[in-house]
Amino acid sequence: MALKTNLYDVSKCTACRGCIIACKDWNQLPAVIEPFKGNYCTHEDTNGDTFTIMRFMEYEEDPADDVKWHFLKYQCMHCLDPACMKVCPRHAYTKTDWGATFHDPEKCVGCQYCTYACPFHIPKYRKREDKITKCTLCVERVEAGLTPACTRTCPTGALSFGDRHELLDYAEERVKFLRANGFPNATIYGKLELGGLNKLYILTDTPDKFGLPIDPKVSSTIPAWKDWIQPYVGWLIPLALAGSAFSFVTTRILAGKHEEHAEGGHE
Amino acid sequence: MQLIPEYREDLPRVERFNFVARMTHWGHTVTFILCLLTGLVLFLNSGADWLAAIFGGYNGAGLVHRIAAVTLTIFLVIFVIFDFKGIINWVKDLLRFGKDDIIFVMKFPLEFLGFPVKMPPQTRFNGGEKGNSMLTPTCVILLVLSGYIMWFPTIFPAGLVRISYPIHDIAMVLATFMVCMHGYLGSFHPGSGESFWGMWKGTVREDWAKHHHAIWYEETYADKTDADSDAE
Repeated sequence: MALKTNLYDVSKCTACRGCIIACKDWNQLPAVIEPFKGNYCTHEDTNGDTFTIMRFMEYEEDPADDVKWHFLKYQCMHCLDPACMKVCPRHAYTKTDWGATFHDPEKCVGCQYCTYACPFHIPKYRKREDKITKCTLCVERVEAGLTPACTRTCPTGALSFGDRHELLDYAEERVKFLRANGFPNATIYGKLELGGLNKLYILTDTPDKFGLPIDPKVSSTIPAWKDWIQPYVGWLIPLALAGSAFSFVTTRILAGKHEEHAEGGHE
Repeated sequence: MQLIPEYREDLPRVERFNFVARMTHWGHTVTFILCLLTGLVLFLNSGADWLAAIFGGYNGAGLVHRIAAVTLTIFLVIFVIFDFKGIINWVKDLLRFGKDDIIFVMKFPLEFLGFPVKMPPQTRFNGGEKGNSMLTPTCVILLVLSGYIMWFPTIFPAGLVRISYPIHDIAMVLATFMVCMHGYLGSFHPGSGESFWGMWKGTVREDWAKHHHAIWYEETYADKTDADSDAE
C-alpha cells in the first residue's frame, strides 16, 4: 500500500492552533495548562496529554520592524525507520502498511526507552497511567477513510493528507514557488531525513530556524546496544552455566581417580 | 554424591567473613537474583512471557525489579557505613595482585575441571577471587548508577540517559557471568567448597585456610596462639 502522509506547509499556517484543539478533541486528551513564559507558545514541548503543539519562534530581521515569527506544528514524525520501534522491549510499536508509527498502550510498560531513542524526543510519559503516549497519525480515522483530525480542521489548507509521493510532487512545486517569491531558503523537510519521515514539511527557511535538527541522527549507542550487545553478549550467561555444569561433572569423575583429594571435598 | 563439604565443628576453625560482610553478601544474592530475573524479562525482548508471569506480568516484574534494586542499594549503603574498614582491607588485598595471582589464574582452568594442581600461596583472596572482586562490584555499581538514571531520566542529561541502557545491559551480562561462576565455585566445586561455610557461618577450617590462602593465614592467624578462640 502506498504511504499516506501529512504535509504541513508553514507558508500557509497562521498558528491558529486549531490542530491542537482538534487533536485534543479527537483523542479525548485533557487540557494541560502551562504557566505563561513570555511568548505565544502554549506548550514548550509535547507531553503525555498533548500529542501536537504549535511552536512560535520569535525573530527580528530589522529592529525597526516588529517581531516576526516562525510557526511550526510539531508532533511525531512517523519515521519510516523508527528508532522507538527498534528499542521497545515490549514490541509496543508497529508500523502500519501506509506508514503510521503506532504505539499500543496495552503493551507499554512505561520504561521510556523510546523517549530517549527518538531523535525528536517525541514519545512522552503519561504518569497517571505509567505509559508512553504520542501522535497516532489518527490511525483509526485514516483506516475508516477519513483524514487525521488536525488536517480535517485546518482552515487555511496548511495541512493536507494523501499519498506521500503525490504530496512530495506538490511540495517540490511549492518550494520552487516560494524560492522565487521571497523565501530563497525554502525547503522540504522529511523527504530524506533519517531515511524519510512520514510527515512532510514545507519550510520557508532552513530547518534550524524552526528548531528542527538539520541532520537528525539516531544515537549510535542504539545500534550498538540492540544489534550487538543484546543478541550476542548475552550468550556469556548460558556459557557460564554450561561451564559450571561441565565442571560439576568432570570434577566428580576426576575425584574418583585421585582418591587422596576426595576427603570431605577438601583437596 | 556430596554437593557441599560437611561443616566440621570438631576441627579448628578461623574467621573469614564478619557479620556485616555476610549480611551484605546474602542480601545482595537475593536482591541481585530478583533484579536479574525481572530484568531478563525486558532483556530477552519479551521473549519469555512465562518469566514475567511469575512476577505478575510485565508491570509486576518492573515493580519487583525496583523494590529489589532499592533493597540492593540499601545493603550497599549498610556495608559502606558499618564495615568501611572491611572494604578498605578488601581493596588493599585486591591491590596485592601479583605474580602468584597470575600463575593461579593461568593454572585455574585445570583446577576448575578437577585436575590436581599445585597452586602458589595466595593472600586472603586468590587470583580468581581478586578478579571477581574487581569486576562484579564495578558492574554492580554501574548497574545501580545507570539504573537510577533510567528510573528518573528527567533529572539527568539526555545523553547520559541514552548511554545508560547499553551500560546497564553490558554490566548485567558481565556481573551475571561472574555471579554464575562465583556461585558454582563457592558451593559445588569440590576444591573451593569449604569457602561456602566461610560466607555462611563466617568460619573456615584452619587446615583449609592454610592450604588455600597460605599468606592470609600466616599474616592473620599464624602468630596468634589463640587462633581458635579468635574464630568466634
